[in-house]
Amino acid sequence: MITLIVRRVGELLLLLLGISFLVFGSMYIAPGDPASMIGGPTATEADLENIRENLGLNDPFLVQYGRYLGNAVQGDFGYSYQTKQSVADAIAVRFPNTLKLAIASMVVAVVIGLVAGLISALRHNSWLDFTSTTFALAGISIPNFWLGALLILVFAVNLQWLPVGGLSEPFYTAEGFKQLILPAITLGTGSAAMIARMTRSSMLEVVRADYVRTARAKGVKETKVIWVHTLKNAMIPVITVIGLNFGFLLGGTIITEKVFAINGVGRLMIDAIAMRDFPLVQGSVLLVATLFVVVNLIVDIVYTYVDPRIKYE
Amino acid sequence: MKKVWVLFVALIAAVVLAACGGESSSAPSQTNEGGTTEAGGGEIEEFVYASTSDVAGLSPILTNDSVSANVQEHVYETLFERDTDTGELIPSLAESYENPDELTWIFKIREDVVFHDGTPLNAESVKYTFDKLRDPATAAPRASLLEPVDEITVEDEFTVKITTKYPYGPFLASLAHSNAAIVSPTADQAQDLMSNPVGSGPFKFVSYTPGDQVVLEAFEDYRDGAPDIKKLVFKVVPEISTAISMLQTGEVDFIDNLPSEQIARIESIQNVDIEKKDGTSVFYLAFNQSRPENQDENFRKAVAAAVDRDTFVGKLNGLGLRSDSVLGPMVFGYNESKNAAGQAYDPELAKQLVEENGYGDRTISLLTANRDNFILMAEIAQAQLTEAGFNVKIETMEWATFLDTARAGQFDITFLSWANLTQDGSEMFYPNLHTDNIGSSNRAQYSNAEFDELVDASRTSVDQEERLNYLDQANGLLLEQNDVVVMYHGVVTGAMNSEYTNLILEPNGKWTLKDVTRK
Repeated sequence: MITLIVRRVGELLLLLLGISFLVFGSMYIAPGDPASMIGGPTATEADLENIRENLGLNDPFLVQYGRYLGNAVQGDFGYSYQTKQSVADAIAVRFPNTLKLAIASMVVAVVIGLVAGLISALRHNSWLDFTSTTFALAGISIPNFWLGALLILVFAVNLQWLPVGGLSEPFYTAEGFKQLILPAITLGTGSAAMIARMTRSSMLEVVRADYVRTARAKGVKETKVIWVHTLKNAMIPVITVIGLNFGFLLGGTIITEKVFAINGVGRLMIDAIAMRDFPLVQGSVLLVATLFVVVNLIVDIVYTYVDPRIKYE
Repeated sequence: MKKVWVLFVALIAAVVLAACGGESSSAPSQTNEGGTTEAGGGEIEEFVYASTSDVAGLSPILTNDSVSANVQEHVYETLFERDTDTGELIPSLAESYENPDELTWIFKIREDVVFHDGTPLNAESVKYTFDKLRDPATAAPRASLLEPVDEITVEDEFTVKITTKYPYGPFLASLAHSNAAIVSPTADQAQDLMSNPVGSGPFKFVSYTPGDQVVLEAFEDYRDGAPDIKKLVFKVVPEISTAISMLQTGEVDFIDNLPSEQIARIESIQNVDIEKKDGTSVFYLAFNQSRPENQDENFRKAVAAAVDRDTFVGKLNGLGLRSDSVLGPMVFGYNESKNAAGQAYDPELAKQLVEENGYGDRTISLLTANRDNFILMAEIAQAQLTEAGFNVKIETMEWATFLDTARAGQFDITFLSWANLTQDGSEMFYPNLHTDNIGSSNRAQYSNAEFDELVDASRTSVDQEERLNYLDQANGLLLEQNDVVVMYHGVVTGAMNSEYTNLILEPNGKWTLKDVTRK
């Protein structure tokens, strides 16, 4: 296990180096001038040149990249071109919101997804199965933008049960909890559908396995057959899906954050790309990459608990 | 199995109950959030404005975007400002001024103004701010506002003398620009004004959460008396339809820049008043004049004759003003006689010119940014130009790429716009169409010696009547040769909770909330 963790950390460092080079390179060659975005349409060429010089944008690519890397290894990820705020601070303000939203929507997704998937598998080809798979298909197909807008219209504007947007209150307060409900449902629906489909197919496969038949033949109680012999063994692909989804959610969810006016990492990243705010783009992408690797590592570790046959040398 | 089913039902019930449970408690709290709490008298305890973008920063010296300017204009003040109705330049922090000669401006500063940190505002503050704005080391995005300035000297505590390198007509308009606002020198030396601003305006800074909100409070020692709004929140709500929902539920009290497609929805909301005013912004079709085929006067005439601007303006739900004039009615230099001075819509003439000159044989690239009404303009123009026999291909780009591509002149025709914050015609013509700015802000790559001369004259004359005349002639020249085809002039809009009144909308799209009070 320790070997696995050490190896993954080593891989992460190499990955971050590669990603930083790719992101820096692609932002460098991408059309769009950061100076124009700072100066605005009214800035003259002299104004723009002054801004470029000030930000070091006139230096050759390798000089700029080397400078970035040199500072980054010392923990300095630079300052936003637009706001002059440190990248670490800009991310630190937004990440808690993204984390809150990711956890809440994963709770929604896992609870609904597992329950629906189980019902579907255990009542295979029944009306319950049909209903559940239909909802799963709908969940995957409905765009977040539409679902979010619809939920706002129904629950916030018409019924006035929940606030339209924002995520400013602490989640453990009543107001904070209410702020989380609509975005978590919006974001969790797609993942729930994926988890439901995966749980269903994985359960159907395991349910037909020899050891399940043997367990039944031995007279093991049906609940024990399902919860101990079947579900546990069916969980490996489901955990993979949950891990991947959680990784994506931690990277920020641009559309949901936008619709519900949530100040998260996804919005930060998309705004930074639009404004050609290179240090912010770089910082956010590195954060997302790190989180993805960490989540995958956790998933790998969880595998060993779910299925003791899995061992890492 | 039954247990699983029961669990599922229980879960759904729990979600529904949680939602239902909120009904009694959430409604009043939303009302509070929206700032509609009674504070007695005309006072408003909290007022929330929703913006679709975050501020870039809170220092007028280091920013140049309209969202930042909206906040800054409530915190800082400028030497001059525009009268919101007449557009006339009137003193604000300046009490009076004189022009002993064409190169010298002497400003008398008001003596009763203090910054929020207690520092008195005087001639030194003005000199400090302007020197910092024009210092190349500052790299101020709008350093060009003071480019003509040669020297700034403090004559006495409340008198400052500014000499310019050449006579500069729009100087007072530049001083009314939000980026020329006066900052507290004490504060600027002690802290970062980008995140902790100190000005002399009606509201003082409380807090800034990047990406989320800026909070201001009434400045009780404001020279004209403290505003009724005690706490003013600028909240970031990136999606306009969400902002409208928040306006409807009372979570937000004011939004601006209403999209034409949302007007009907906002009008249907009972507790909201919409305000509109003719604006200074102009949206126009421009030709890339660095390409010889676009220098053909008949080609431009055919394009202008093919595009039906009246139909387009009709699709804006009242948020566009039709006039051929490049300088709109709210801009200094406008002359009513230019309203119909451009090529009129004449599809038959367009077809005839296309046929005679074989304009349909080449593909015209129509470059457009993927924002606001630009795509709509491009699609309508493409349809109408195709009808006339042109062969038009639309190239859509996101804003930053669009700016670069247009600056490099990689297009045949495009749609451009200009907000014109200073409301002065020279400030529209010089950056956008003067030869000096080809390769930067003159994206049409337009170069015309006669036009340049007229614009230079409008900039260097300090006689305002003369300036009007030069600008009118320059405007006429553009229309005569169809160098610019104006699609529409903008209308500024705002929607405010109907409990309040006295919103001041300015033609350049800015607004002020300092006089807002309960009805």
